[in-house]
Amino acid sequence: MHVYIYDYYVTQKKYARTMADVETRLTDLGLNGKIIRIGVNQNIFSLVESELNRGIKTIIAVGNDFTIHKIINIMAGSKVPLGIIPIGKDNNKIAQSLGIEMDVLACNTISSRRIEILYLGQVNKNYFLTKSSIDSSGSTIEIDKDYSIEIKDRGEIEIINLAFKDDKIPENINVSPCDEKLELVIKTIGGKKFLSSKEYNHSIMPFKKLIIYNDNLKVLADNAGEIECPAEITISKKKINIIVGKDRNF
Amino acid sequence: MFNKQQNETMREAETIIGLSVKVKGDFTCQGNMVVEGEVDGTLKTHGDLIVGDKAKISANIEAKNATISGEVNGNLKIKGYLELSSTAKINGDIDVQSISIIKGAILNGQCQMKQGEEKIIKNKE
Repeated sequence: MHVYIYDYYVTQKKYARTMADVETRLTDLGLNGKIIRIGVNQNIFSLVESELNRGIKTIIAVGNDFTIHKIINIMAGSKVPLGIIPIGKDNNKIAQSLGIEMDVLACNTISSRRIEILYLGQVNKNYFLTKSSIDSSGSTIEIDKDYSIEIKDRGEIEIINLAFKDDKIPENINVSPCDEKLELVIKTIGGKKFLSSKEYNHSIMPFKKLIIYNDNLKVLADNAGEIECPAEITISKKKINIIVGKDRNF
Repeated sequence: MFNKQQNETMREAETIIGLSVKVKGDFTCQGNMVVEGEVDGTLKTHGDLIVGDKAKISANIEAKNATISGEVNGNLKIKGYLELSSTAKINGDIDVQSISIIKGAILNGQCQMKQGEEKIIKNKE
């Protein structure tokens, strides 16, 4: 059986038409299942966990990056596949990276059931699928306890497992969530054009474990969850099965 | 500016230390490396190393082959070929198999060549 987890915002009036179209399409495709609507203050953790314990076939997140990030943190290590129906134009970068189209078109991806097993990154006790990032201002990085990094210019620190579609990664860097590796990418503004894209200088370093220190800022995981520093980041042993689209970013 | 070999090293680089970044400590890498920023400590790679003209390294360096265009305060141990470009400044000893020093490079230290291929090309214009 499929279980659809509806985030709170998709029940708003402005998405009523979209959701009706999605439900009709799912019925046409024979993908009906149980619908769980998450309330504003409801604990999504216990709801999803109880469904996982019932031996269901698939969990489908209906929402945006915030929805997916929460559900990934509950499903990390589970063999039950996760499907995604992204609703709304904003905050749907994770679905785009996985090659999943918006709204009704995502139902076709669910139907195709193209499943990939992807590694997750871990930042403190949280998991992330795509990347964790923080502004470089006031940030220092300690890597594998062997060396530390200071960043002089303004920019951004990213630890990437799966890049977003609009990320400008240097061509020589192969970023994939299937390779059990995370890439540390430091983008700073200014400097020479060579070795970098038009606007940034890129620094790229492989690592096993790193710690980010910053007294004022938090690490942003999956464009959705905020985690306090110091943040210890490493590749997790836990994986997740995800239904992906053809036009994915790996 | 870069020859074909150097372009290939840059394209296949596993590690890039950019202009605004300073690394402090013992840095070890398996693949090719490009340094444009600062390194303080030790720098080891099993691959090739390119040091850009704005780079400042205060470290002992070990690499398979290397092209240096910036400043290095430390000893270099290069298994194969070392090229010092016209903007290179080396304050330290060099242990290398073969070396090319372009006119304008500064070398303050001893140079030990391994037995076998001993080729020193000085004042190349």
